[in-house]
Amino acid sequence: MDTFAQQLVNGLTLGSLYALIAVGYTVVYGIVQLINFAHGEVFMIGAFGALSTYLLLFQGQTSLWILPVMIIGAVIASVATAVIMERVAYRPLRGAPRLAPLITAIGISVFLQEFVRLFYDKIPGTNFPSAKQRIPFPRIEGVTGTAFEAGGVVVQKSALFTIGCLIMCAALLWYFINRTKLGHAMQAVSQDPDTARLMGINVDRIIVVAFALGAALAAIAGVAQGLQNANINFKIGFTAGLKAFTAAVLGGIGNIQGAVVGGLVLGVVEALATQYVPGQFGGSAWKDVWAFALLIIVLVFRPQGLLGAKVVDRA
Amino acid sequence: MSTAATAPQRTAPAIGAPVVEARGVVMRFGGLVAVNNVDLTVHEGEIVGLIGPNGAGKTTFFNCLTGMYKPTEGQVTLSGETLPPKPRRVVTAGMARTFQNIRLFSNMTSLENVMVGRYCRTSAGPLTSILRGPKYKREEAATRERAQELLDFVGLGDKAEHLSRNLPYGDQRRLEIARALATDPKVILLDEPTAGMNPQETRQASDLIFRIRDMGIAVVVIEHDMRFIFNLCDRVLCLVRGETLIEGSPAEVQSDPRVIEAYIGGGTDDEEEQA
Ligand SMILES: Nc1ncnc2c1ncn2[C@@H]1O[C@H](COP(=O)(O)OP(=O)(O)OP(=O)(O)O)[C@@H](O)[C@H]1O
Ligand SMILES: [Mg+2]
Repeated sequence: MDTFAQQLVNGLTLGSLYALIAVGYTVVYGIVQLINFAHGEVFMIGAFGALSTYLLLFQGQTSLWILPVMIIGAVIASVATAVIMERVAYRPLRGAPRLAPLITAIGISVFLQEFVRLFYDKIPGTNFPSAKQRIPFPRIEGVTGTAFEAGGVVVQKSALFTIGCLIMCAALLWYFINRTKLGHAMQAVSQDPDTARLMGINVDRIIVVAFALGAALAAIAGVAQGLQNANINFKIGFTAGLKAFTAAVLGGIGNIQGAVVGGLVLGVVEALATQYVPGQFGGSAWKDVWAFALLIIVLVFRPQGLLGAKVVDRA
Repeated sequence: MSTAATAPQRTAPAIGAPVVEARGVVMRFGGLVAVNNVDLTVHEGEIVGLIGPNGAGKTTFFNCLTGMYKPTEGQVTLSGETLPPKPRRVVTAGMARTFQNIRLFSNMTSLENVMVGRYCRTSAGPLTSILRGPKYKREEAATRERAQELLDFVGLGDKAEHLSRNLPYGDQRRLEIARALATDPKVILLDEPTAGMNPQETRQASDLIFRIRDMGIAVVVIEHDMRFIFNLCDRVLCLVRGETLIEGSPAEVQSDPRVIEAYIGGGTDDEEEQA
């Protein structure tokens, strides 16, 4: 029982991270039917944004109040990246065949990874370490350090932070989508962009908002990842992005609740598979196999995902 | 512009300045000329009917008026100003419409649909809307209130919280009208507002359109139901194969043999399109 509870906690932690990133895939897809494969890199840049903020302003300190400032730094870095990416790379391709933005996304993804790898230590006016190796992520009192035990289950403080972030973001997101002017406009655009335009909605602006919203959550996930792993590198966006995309599809692409549920389910399944699949196919080496096997099974029996894709059928 | 046309009808308020003026509008799709050199002037306080057999180009003409299509030739002005190039600017300039095939935001409630229509008249930006500044709160409350008023106006006051996709067909049409009215238009374009309605609902729709006109909004309405059109409109334009066949008072149009011919016999050229 204890191992089960333990793996459940591990799974929910991992799943919260996936969920935070998955929302970005799903929101953008819901609005423009575009899979932004560079979203993983937006997450990675969030982590680097937090790290840079720390190195510039707080080097050597560990107090908790630094964390919100780091999160703000992360959000600024990610949102700026996503918004520029939309403006420069995706907007000119609006109306182009779907393959074009998809390939562009892969290009941006490679560009951003290499950019961070090659130039992070060369940013003028700073003396950041080279991103060619792993860079230690700052330790922050209260959210890193010794784990505590509750009822036989070991819980990392960073895990609590991650799960807490997901809960808070999900609540804010729900509120934003369902209770604000901008949220209503987003729903309208996702259901019928042409009609939304004829209601006076600035569709281009809503698309930017969707990118920015996803980027902000990815940035928070980036901070959480840094705190959990204690170090970051330029490649973290690739695997995390792939898993989060899987989570988004699993939950039903375009469906925000689906992204959250998909993320959590994926995390938990991975953790349980690591523990309970016996013999040669068990252990953490195989967890990705089980994650993608789950995706395939779900898509075979429920192609629209667990909670149902939300894409408007347009004639 | 005689209003003493047919059957009992409310007297129209004095006809005012032109709101919409379309001059020589041509819309080509490849080789097909869907709208050919059509002129139309709509004045304040006027209800103008647009009739014609299937495929005559009525909806296409509406699309040209609302900036959804850019006419191949000709020009459209709204209150004397050239139509802005972007559809959303056309809305803020004062032109609203409904659709032949209903296009509501189906996963939103009636009230939310109307509120979305209203947003182009509110000014709170993205940041204040997230941070809920006092201005945003005031505006949001006003938007909600106005949306509810409009639902009451079209007779859907008690269905504010229903998802729009669950509404009966007739209600969906009225909801589209409420959503269009929420944008505070000077002129509203209705594309077959009574399609699929029963006679009683059609009468209510007539009444609703008169009330809209009485609010000082010019109305252009496409319909196939001739009784409805001739009873409602101050002026009727009949399109056939993209061209103006006749424009005049309901009495004039009604009695013109070519109109009847276009609907009954003359439309044979369009038969593939009707099928
Ligand atoms: N986007 C388009 N591309 C190509 N042809 C089009 C397009 N839109 C309309 N047409 C053609 O233009 C002609 C006019 O169509 P339109 O929908 O305007 O007719 P309508 O008068 O509204 O007919 P109905 O009474 O059936 O609604 C038709 O032949 C139609 O096939
Ligand atoms: Mg039509």
